[in-house]
Amino acid sequence: MPRRLRITIDYNRCVGSGICILTAPNVFRYNDQRQSEVIDPDGAPEGVVLEAAQGCPQVAITVEDADSNERLFPPADLL
Amino acid sequence: MTTIQDDLLAPEVIADPYTYFGQIREEDPVHWNSRWNGWLVTRYEDVVGVLRDHDHFSSDRMASFVLELRPEDRDRLSLLISYFSKWLVFTDPPYHTRVRMLLNKAFTPTSVERLRPRVREIIQELLSQVEHKRHMEFIREFAFHLPVIVISEYMGVPPEDREQIKEWSDETSRIFFIRADEPDRRERSQRGLQHLLDYFEPLIHDRRRHPRDDLITALIQAEERGDLLSDEELLATCTVLIFAGHETTTNLLANGLVALMEHHDQWDLLHENPSLVRPAVEELLRYDGPVKATFRWAKQDVELQGKTMREGDRLLIVLAAANRDPRKFSNPEDLDITRNPNPHVAFGHGIHVCLGAPLARLEGQEAFLALSQRLPNIRLADKPREYHRTIVARALKELWVEW
Repeated sequence: MPRRLRITIDYNRCVGSGICILTAPNVFRYNDQRQSEVIDPDGAPEGVVLEAAQGCPQVAITVEDADSNERLFPPADLL
Repeated sequence: MTTIQDDLLAPEVIADPYTYFGQIREEDPVHWNSRWNGWLVTRYEDVVGVLRDHDHFSSDRMASFVLELRPEDRDRLSLLISYFSKWLVFTDPPYHTRVRMLLNKAFTPTSVERLRPRVREIIQELLSQVEHKRHMEFIREFAFHLPVIVISEYMGVPPEDREQIKEWSDETSRIFFIRADEPDRRERSQRGLQHLLDYFEPLIHDRRRHPRDDLITALIQAEERGDLLSDEELLATCTVLIFAGHETTTNLLANGLVALMEHHDQWDLLHENPSLVRPAVEELLRYDGPVKATFRWAKQDVELQGKTMREGDRLLIVLAAANRDPRKFSNPEDLDITRNPNPHVAFGHGIHVCLGAPLARLEGQEAFLALSQRLPNIRLADKPREYHRTIVARALKELWVEW
């Protein structure tokens, strides 16, 4: 069983670059403000979700283990 | 209500764009400028709205550029047109999406983070060269070198070629920064571009046969779902990266230093609290960033703040006005390096948000950290400061400092 993820978007940082949506279209989509929103945190393998978060030029996406609350991205030195 | 004068290159607008564009933002936020022949968009909400809406607003600068040219000029400038049409900044989806995704991995915050130790080292070397003099022309002796060295090393351009490339890059840039006093700027721009292409072509060829740990090699190998960059796209990308890596970061450093010197309490605060450097750089970007405005073209008739824009109309998206919009930022005219959150639009917004932003941030953070620790007594010399006469760039000609 893959672990469940919690994905959070910081709307003060999100600029709607769309990179997460292109990387993981089953996880993210544009909301009506043209910022990113999560539709399904388990919509892609963990590696793809992390790639989407790392691809964000604004470090707007936080990925955590939903059960242990361990933060998988970003590391502290990127914030 | 006072009348708005429409000369975007008037001396008082160049010296202080914030007062001028601020007045427009408050009195006529979507303003038709008959002299420039386009719309000025100045409120934060509208700026962000337009930049997010690439369905209605195009970035294809070359399309309108080509339309304005006489047929004989189109032939003469065909190289320029052909390559600039492939520059990410001037393209719309789907081309933009494809190339942006291929490039993005090299410029993510995670990817550029590994350059930080080297950036730090370069900064210390540059400061060591000037420290004993107790004064410098900040742009020529510091702010100009840092981004050039960083992007050149990252791309894999040998140090001995840097100066030459800088010259060509400057020539190429003439067409964008609209220096009104240069009638032959298109031709000079094309000549600069030709030199850059001639330079990068063999370099790309070499990396194909002998891959290295550099960005050119990474771009050659960049693959997204089986898709690669073509030779022309690679060349166009090399020229845009070297070009974009030059002037803007220089201006971030110079404008930022002026802002901190003019708000000395904030400089002291940074000196005493180096951990504030990240929010400080964001605030410097907001307060007096390197790019005052960007362009869009209406793809169809569209309404904004009760004004009707027609298909093909051009828009000046005034980032400098949005970044001081009191509807978005409290005390927008104050420099507050602790401001958080700070959703400024200095890097733009939407799908065209600056690709190099993570690298520019990193360079800015390390530069202001080093300056505030190593030269805490730095101050502005008593010399007049003049800005280049351009609509887009907020660029000082010289910045003399002493310590």
